[in-house]
Amino acid sequence: MIADLIETVVKILIVFGINMGFFAPILGWVERKQSAVMQDRVGANRADILGFRIIGLFHPIADALKVMVKEDFIPDGANKLFHTLAPFISLTCALVTFAVIPFGGQYELFGHKVNLVIADLDVGILFVFAFASLAPFGAVLAGWSSNNNWSFLGGMRASAQMLSYEVAMGFTIIGVIMVYGTLQLTEIGAAQADFFRWGIFLQPVGFLLFFTCAIAENKRIPFDMPEAESELVAGYFTEYSGMKFVMFWMGEFVEIVTISAIVTTLFFGAWHIPFVSDTALVSLFSPVGQAASNLLAMIHDSLGSPATALAVSTLLAMVVNLGVFLAKIIFFIWLQMTIRWTLPRFRYDQVMRLGWKMILPISLINIFITGLFML
Amino acid sequence: MPIEPQKIKKVRRNLELTLWEKLYIFEVIRGLFITTRHLVVNLIGFVVPPAGKKRSIPTIYYPEEKRVMFDAYRGRPVLVAQENGSEKCVACGLCEKICPGRAITIVAREKENGDRFPLQFTLDMTRCVYCGYCEEVCPKEAIVMSREYENLAAYNRAEMIFSKESLLRPEKDLRERLEYVRRIYSKCNY
Repeated sequence: MIADLIETVVKILIVFGINMGFFAPILGWVERKQSAVMQDRVGANRADILGFRIIGLFHPIADALKVMVKEDFIPDGANKLFHTLAPFISLTCALVTFAVIPFGGQYELFGHKVNLVIADLDVGILFVFAFASLAPFGAVLAGWSSNNNWSFLGGMRASAQMLSYEVAMGFTIIGVIMVYGTLQLTEIGAAQADFFRWGIFLQPVGFLLFFTCAIAENKRIPFDMPEAESELVAGYFTEYSGMKFVMFWMGEFVEIVTISAIVTTLFFGAWHIPFVSDTALVSLFSPVGQAASNLLAMIHDSLGSPATALAVSTLLAMVVNLGVFLAKIIFFIWLQMTIRWTLPRFRYDQVMRLGWKMILPISLINIFITGLFML
Repeated sequence: MPIEPQKIKKVRRNLELTLWEKLYIFEVIRGLFITTRHLVVNLIGFVVPPAGKKRSIPTIYYPEEKRVMFDAYRGRPVLVAQENGSEKCVACGLCEKICPGRAITIVAREKENGDRFPLQFTLDMTRCVYCGYCEEVCPKEAIVMSREYENLAAYNRAEMIFSKESLLRPEKDLRERLEYVRRIYSKCNY
């Protein structure tokens, strides 16, 4: 019981720490710096501490300090409750999704089963979609409650766009669910142990469609109709300032990570290294584990057992799997950033046409063809 | 600074898209490759700069690195000093006369030996428009537009009025501009 509790707390800390402590601040820097370098600019590098600049990495700290001391402004005539609630909905929905995403396989430590996922739900992917469909509420409430025409238009666009792509997104992954025969994300991940059983090989069209829908769901360029800086000031968060503005901003970044994690889990072999199975990984680390247990035996005799050796090598395998998963996530974050800074924005009718007239039918055909192959 | 001839790149405009382009996804991937190429080239350029440059990105890190302005640049007008430190100006008043903004005020005096000199030479930089007429009209090459482009703005107007002493610059610092002036404004050119 206590072991379970400790395990869960550790896992939550890992996921929350990686998301809020690493990805959310660093992505702001990455977005600035990557976009700058690929446009032949230098990017943010002015914040310095004692003359040290370390390629602009102090900017997240400076930004954080700035937003914390900024005035939290609620416009006249705004609905105070919903205006305050909206950013929390946005950020929470993005964060909660991570509960069901497996970042490693199942291991045994001292006879205790460790499953590297916070909540191993039977309907994991449905849970993801449930919370992804809650996310528009953040944008819509923000737009509606701000008492600002730009915000309102942004909120309206957000609701239309996100609902449209929600439908298509649901259909795009049915192919994946059919192939692996489960809704449980840990099982989908485990089923991709073989390199040639990765989702990208079984469902290439499904991957393209899902990735497109996911970017559209995240409201980033080329699908940034709800924000549309050139038309709607800043869209639904025009009237936000200080910490609440940053919550939207962090919600967006966490959503990038979420999308990358889901894409990795569904299509890119989750935590698996190509051609190396989990058990092979543990046995690969067994010499290290043996050496570690020999070292620990110097402290206390009981620590020098083969069980400790196995535990240490398992622990190392866990860390490696987590690292592989993170590496894949980082690759997809990079891909999304590159897409965001490469493509121009769609027109509003183009967004709708792409969603309803192209992605939806193609995903239905994809389901049909997948069914034919499975028969 | 010679201008390098640029390769002209032709862009197709307002044409019917081919089927390949209408498929969108392949052209998107091509675009991603272009941006990624820039990213990779520039990232390498930070570590291993191309020959003769600090980095492959053309940005100049301004306060640390400063651009040396070209000869034709018209910065702050300054007075040319002689070797002994006194000004070349003979207070003829031509610059004062021609200045469209009336930025220059000269109080002339005569030395014992009959040479004229400006007792006061006041340049009101709130009025200067950097046209360079003063330099063009000066018969003694005593006032030139320098390469100085910093601290041209000030927090109050009193700081923007310069006396003769604060405008004097040694002649060797202004040599390039003086040669340029001789080449461009020499009488035979008109």
